[in-house]
Amino acid sequence: MKRRDFLKSALLAGTVLTIPGGIGFLGKAFAAAEKTDLAVAAGSSPAAITKAAIEALGGIKEFIARGDVVVVKPNIGWDRLPEYAATTNPEVVKTVVALCYEAGAKQVRIFDHAVVDPRRCYKQSGIAAAAAAAGGIVSFIDDRKFRDMRLPGVALKSWPLYTEAIEADKFINIPIAKTHGLSTLTLGMKNLMGIMGGSRGRIHQRIDGSLVDMAMTVKPSLVIIDAVRILTANGPQGGDLADVKQLNTIIAGKDQVAVDAYGATLFGLKGTDIGCVTAGHKAGLGIMDLTKLKIKKINV
Amino acid sequence: MISKIRIIVQGIFLLLFFWLFLQTESKGEDVLGYPVKIFLDADPLIFITTLLAGHVWSSSFFLAVLVIVATAILGRVFCGWICPLGTLNNIVGTFQKRRSNRAPLKLHWLKYCILIFLVTASLFSLQFAGIFDPIALLIRSLSLSVYPLASYAAKATFDTLYNFPIPVLVDISEFIYALFKKLFLPFQQPFFFQSFFLGLLFFIILGLNLLEKRFWCKYICPLGALLGVLSRFSLLQRTVTEGCNSCGTCTFECQGGAAPDQKEKWHNTECLVCMNCDDICPENAVRFGFLKKSRTAPLDLGKRRVLGMIMAGIATVPLIRITAINKQAGAGEPRLIRPPGSLEEKQFLERCVKCGECMKVCITGGLQPTFMEAGLEGIWSPVLVPKVGYCEYRCTLCGQVCPTGAIRKLEQKEKEKTKIGLAMIDHGRCLPYAHAMPCIVCQEVCPTPQKAIWLEKTKVTNKDGKELNLNQPHIDLELCIGCGLCEAKCPILGQPAIYVTSIGESRSKDNQLLLS
Repeated sequence: MKRRDFLKSALLAGTVLTIPGGIGFLGKAFAAAEKTDLAVAAGSSPAAITKAAIEALGGIKEFIARGDVVVVKPNIGWDRLPEYAATTNPEVVKTVVALCYEAGAKQVRIFDHAVVDPRRCYKQSGIAAAAAAAGGIVSFIDDRKFRDMRLPGVALKSWPLYTEAIEADKFINIPIAKTHGLSTLTLGMKNLMGIMGGSRGRIHQRIDGSLVDMAMTVKPSLVIIDAVRILTANGPQGGDLADVKQLNTIIAGKDQVAVDAYGATLFGLKGTDIGCVTAGHKAGLGIMDLTKLKIKKINV
Repeated sequence: MISKIRIIVQGIFLLLFFWLFLQTESKGEDVLGYPVKIFLDADPLIFITTLLAGHVWSSSFFLAVLVIVATAILGRVFCGWICPLGTLNNIVGTFQKRRSNRAPLKLHWLKYCILIFLVTASLFSLQFAGIFDPIALLIRSLSLSVYPLASYAAKATFDTLYNFPIPVLVDISEFIYALFKKLFLPFQQPFFFQSFFLGLLFFIILGLNLLEKRFWCKYICPLGALLGVLSRFSLLQRTVTEGCNSCGTCTFECQGGAAPDQKEKWHNTECLVCMNCDDICPENAVRFGFLKKSRTAPLDLGKRRVLGMIMAGIATVPLIRITAINKQAGAGEPRLIRPPGSLEEKQFLERCVKCGECMKVCITGGLQPTFMEAGLEGIWSPVLVPKVGYCEYRCTLCGQVCPTGAIRKLEQKEKEKTKIGLAMIDHGRCLPYAHAMPCIVCQEVCPTPQKAIWLEKTKVTNKDGKELNLNQPHIDLELCIGCGLCEAKCPILGQPAIYVTSIGESRSKDNQLLLS
């Protein structure tokens, strides 16, 4: 520390101490000014970039408190190996689970309402093993735990949702970025369909509004888009390595609209190209204009 | 003493059978990892009829040969000591009131007639043995009926407790439920067509033990008949010494109804080597020993019966095959979607023994027993019903468990390219076509690497006169493998707007659409 800086901070500290509320107050104001909306980390290690992105947002303690029951919701929807980029990167999931425990989480639960056979999805995606290795409680969906719940009504007034997801203290959404025939892309908001029960096929008739309803109901504490590999065609199930692009990127943020809007740029699209992003923006769920956001980019 | 050892051995084989039965379920891996069909492999009746009808040696035929050799040496030890259905009959038989004074039916000839019929038919390429074979029957009955029943009952019980949450009780019941799930309940509740009917047949077979112990084994079982013939000159023979005073004690304990008190007129082909007579004899006059000469009654069925059954076996073959289903490709049930790797239909039927292993293991529960869709010849053979469950893209389990190769074991790469049919779209029901509403579920779920459903962006006018850009799905007939995932997930329930029929199936030369 240079002398001049030292004097400056000493002076500042002196001033602060005289103000009621003291350091804590200023600390908060300071953080607010500094607050990063989106963190985008790139690098070859999925674990390292996941950690870096969360660190850039203020660290995991910003989102998880001691004693929390946390639900980590990856995409385990398909029976594909990780390299096919149809399911969330297991390393990313494992890292997040471990971080949650570091922050003092009581329990970290991992599940997804898979589209095809869940046994194969959990196993072949590598997620069940990875999450369990970090101490996560991996469970298959139990049909008895869906309850009809009230939704804001943008498109849906009520739908059966998974109680374990809704009743958790914190919810971390970890989608993988993929193309999708109807919603163009499947990113964070689309991944929330994995806690919906009932006949989900009908959702597609009004998908954008439905996803906004889900996003407003679930209110994830953190959204982490896994773009270590992305699926650029034949999504969301994929199956052809030629459609997979290695980006080695993680996008993290609290604003569901903003995270998805940034995710769209990975595919050369804009937030406005994605129905649910536009609808979420309109409904006041978040900000899709990336120029209005403080985005921190990190290379690891 | 020996009968006590026998009971232990029976218990071990029954438990082994049940354990393998429970292992016939996916854990998410590509391969099962256990020889779940080992009892079928060891079944000489399946082995011989498959050899005659399909002209193939099953992969593990040495096990069946082992049983044949064992029978030639020791007699019907398979029936008395190993057969799981025999053991179940044994167990139920113990509930019979002892020493009922009803005279036994003495229908032993019946099972030999069934055997002659089945073997003759198989000689002329009709594989019907699986209907009566005890192992196939047991696996089929358990898979399609008894196991689903147990699962349903358990689920209903624990759900009831779960929905009336009394704090501590629900914790205990959930703990027990989780334990049950881990130990023996299926991953998901199985549902099968004809489960009631198949269950009823099975429970009747078990119930017949109350009429007469081991009724099935004595009078109906064609495998028992086959082993009986083989045991006629077995090396291990039962002899009775001079000490026998024909008190008749042994007849009540004889599991095969072999008339053991009849000295020279007893029926050694009916002896299950249970050794009860040796244990019970008050005069200790019974001996089991090798290379002893035992005098027995002849195995005489009567020429008319034998000739009659041979004729019936021969005549049944054309009779069963002149159904119009067989007239030409496409004449039969279009929804007869066979599992991936199935042989061409004629060969398939020559080999399928209707054991239900494939239906038990099917990861989505989509494989169902046919009724008359494949003719009487194909009754209880597997058909994929996509509305119940689709064919999982990367799953190859049905081919792994098929005991006769009716469903070939496919490598994953080959499976992914094997067509079991083709999907077609019903424009009158499909939302983007008929009702100007967005829906692309079929395209979303389509599992082929390059999707076999492509979307055409089309301008349509909805009921309010508003112009919309909608994606309308089309099938790529070359890429579609007919897995039925689209049909299973189509939101138009009941009669989906996209559905699979068997046309285009890889196994058929004639049931084709595309010029290739």
